[in-house]
Amino acid sequence: MVTSDSGGTAPETRAHGFLGRTFCNTDHKVIGLNYLWLALFSVFLGMGLSLRMRIHLVWPGAHIPFVSGVANTPEHYASLTLLHGSLMVFMVLTAAPQAGFGNYFLPLQIGAREMAFPTLNLLAFWATAASLLGITTAFFLQPESGLTLWVESVALFCVASLLSALNFSVTAIDLRTKGMKLPRMPLTVWAWLLTGILGSLIFSILFAACVFLLSDRLVGTYFFNIPQVLARSIPSSAPQGIPLLWQRLFWFFVQAEVYVAMLPCLGITCHLLSTFARKPVWALRAVVFALCGVGLFGFCIWGYHTFESGLNPYAPPVFATLAESLGLPAVILLASWLGTLWNGKIQLTTAMLFAIGFVSLFIAGGLSGLFLARHDLGAVAVSDEFITGHFHLVMGVAATFAILGALFFWFPKMFGRRLSEPLGKLHFWLTFVGVYCVFMPMHWLGLMAHSRVGAGNPVAAAAAGATVREFITGATIVTIAAQGIFLFNFLSSVWRSAKAIEKNPWRATTLEWSIASPTPFDNFGRAEPVVYRGAYEFGVQDVAEDFVPQHLAPEEVAGKAR
Amino acid sequence: MPGAPVLDEIRIIIEDIGKGAGNEPPSGGDGDKRRRPDPPSPRRYYTGIALGIVSIFMFFMALASAYLVQRSTSERWVPLHVPPILWLNTMVLLASSVTMERARKRLSLADLSGFRALWMVTTVLGLAFLGGQLAAWRLLVAQGIYVATNQGSSFFYIFTAVHGAHLLGGITALIYVYRRNFEAANVSLSTAAEITSYYWHFMDGLWVFLLALLYLGK
Repeated sequence: MVTSDSGGTAPETRAHGFLGRTFCNTDHKVIGLNYLWLALFSVFLGMGLSLRMRIHLVWPGAHIPFVSGVANTPEHYASLTLLHGSLMVFMVLTAAPQAGFGNYFLPLQIGAREMAFPTLNLLAFWATAASLLGITTAFFLQPESGLTLWVESVALFCVASLLSALNFSVTAIDLRTKGMKLPRMPLTVWAWLLTGILGSLIFSILFAACVFLLSDRLVGTYFFNIPQVLARSIPSSAPQGIPLLWQRLFWFFVQAEVYVAMLPCLGITCHLLSTFARKPVWALRAVVFALCGVGLFGFCIWGYHTFESGLNPYAPPVFATLAESLGLPAVILLASWLGTLWNGKIQLTTAMLFAIGFVSLFIAGGLSGLFLARHDLGAVAVSDEFITGHFHLVMGVAATFAILGALFFWFPKMFGRRLSEPLGKLHFWLTFVGVYCVFMPMHWLGLMAHSRVGAGNPVAAAAAGATVREFITGATIVTIAAQGIFLFNFLSSVWRSAKAIEKNPWRATTLEWSIASPTPFDNFGRAEPVVYRGAYEFGVQDVAEDFVPQHLAPEEVAGKAR
Repeated sequence: MPGAPVLDEIRIIIEDIGKGAGNEPPSGGDGDKRRRPDPPSPRRYYTGIALGIVSIFMFFMALASAYLVQRSTSERWVPLHVPPILWLNTMVLLASSVTMERARKRLSLADLSGFRALWMVTTVLGLAFLGGQLAAWRLLVAQGIYVATNQGSSFFYIFTAVHGAHLLGGITALIYVYRRNFEAANVSLSTAAEITSYYWHFMDGLWVFLLALLYLGK
């Protein structure tokens, strides 16, 4: 009785009108682009906030044009961190690599015509957009009502992410075209699939925590100990709340959330390195297992954030061992990246530079992570600034590099134009040097806080610390200014009218490069693509070019070779 | 290599995930590539409901683990005696699962009117369960036990409210399956009924679990 299908089939006609095309369009490409616009807005707002924090940290009395009048109280200064973090983690790191690029390219790379549940996809996008609006609005409200709105917005984001994660998993599992067996899937698809599964497990946990928190705030229950509850007239039977409970639920989510943000970036990096080194991914199968391992360990190590708040005494070593065992998949990935680059015919395009930059940041940030994974060392040896430096380097900046690499790589397919390479390279080098100047000194500040040098001569240590902080702020200003180059490059390329460029400018193998640029509205049209081989057939001998695309039939390959 | 057969088996299992998709391409020439694509199979609805159930399961496990932690660590845990009407509600919900399976049995025998009657009975039983849950709340309120009275009562209200909201989603699906004309739809009636039944039985089992938790935790 199966007849037609609203989802998963090619749209018969284009959507009409600006509203229809932009806001009610269930096309995965439009939704993916909308997510990317959302992330672009959020990342610049988030950077602006971090700039304001850095400036006030070093020159507390500084008058900043335009924003000095807005919210100039200590409470609002504290809320800057919250807004910066929630924008960057939810709207940029979670949304861009998975929901943005994933929505656009997952169906294209597996040869599908749509996501599995297009309407659900649209709903998830609008819930995300509403959540962004709520999170941003919360900043301008009174702290009490602002926080409530913030929690509600985060709960909404959880629902959106759950819908999106469900869609991704089902699409990657069930909508693959003929011949696209699991071992032939590009690593980006693997990463999107694993992130989808991980996301559908952990956003439920955050949602549960939000339900408790909202019920505490709105109907006065006693799940967590919060000041609002203490301020009420407490009945005799009212117990003390348990902050530990919040910590457990929260860290269960957050630790895995790191990998929800990182997994797609790892996949993108593998993909870019192989394409631009013109070599197959080294030890492909091991890389797939490593990606699975990252997801699995990431899900299991939540406990290591609660060492200080009273776990069972046997638990910390277990969690520390698990956390350190994350080094295993990380080393496999690293070995594969270096093995792929080794003896490759490396093309240093901007996308490749960002992918190599990712590798560099991953190593730099990952090493300090190994140090923090020790349950008996992290807490006593370093202060918060070490941790701030660590996670910004490995999660924030590295992931941003992968996002930028993906943008430079896929821009021709999305907009029918290339981004300017000279501007891109200038932007890369300024950003690359800039982020190291910002976040490396933070590690040093963190180490200094507990060092004997600081204890022996606190005055000299404080003066040195102040100088370092001024340096960090200066580097932040320069790095953020460099993003103007990117914004100019991006917007000027988007606004110039698209011209049809060659299908496959990077000579890549995956299915999205077998169709026109920019992508036609019905993707592959009436033809159903068929996949004949793995995704990384580079450096092949005896063919016309040095690669064989996935969709080329063996006869055609032989024909071309002759 | 001694481990090779095992690895091969794992590989076969991996390649078998998502049967149908990712089959070996046909060896014949280009003829296959130009024909109009088949409509996608409804398999994605099964995968979707399975993953959705896992997601919802995680959500309730987070709630349940919070309950267990609070109960064991709180110094002033006030036990809550569950209202006896809950046992009746549970019977109603379990009965709805039975009628649903009987409805699907009717459908498999091509007895459409029998299916529709039993499906309606299932829907009514679901609504009766929700009504019963509201009655339980009223009984507690009559005893002066509100949501913010103590931790035990907070958990009781949150558990029942959240489960009720999820069950309401199930009732919506039941009504949708009842009213929708499946002649022009993308799935068959039996598929839609089957997928709804998975969700419904899951909600049923989940309630039994929550009730056991509340009852044993008093």
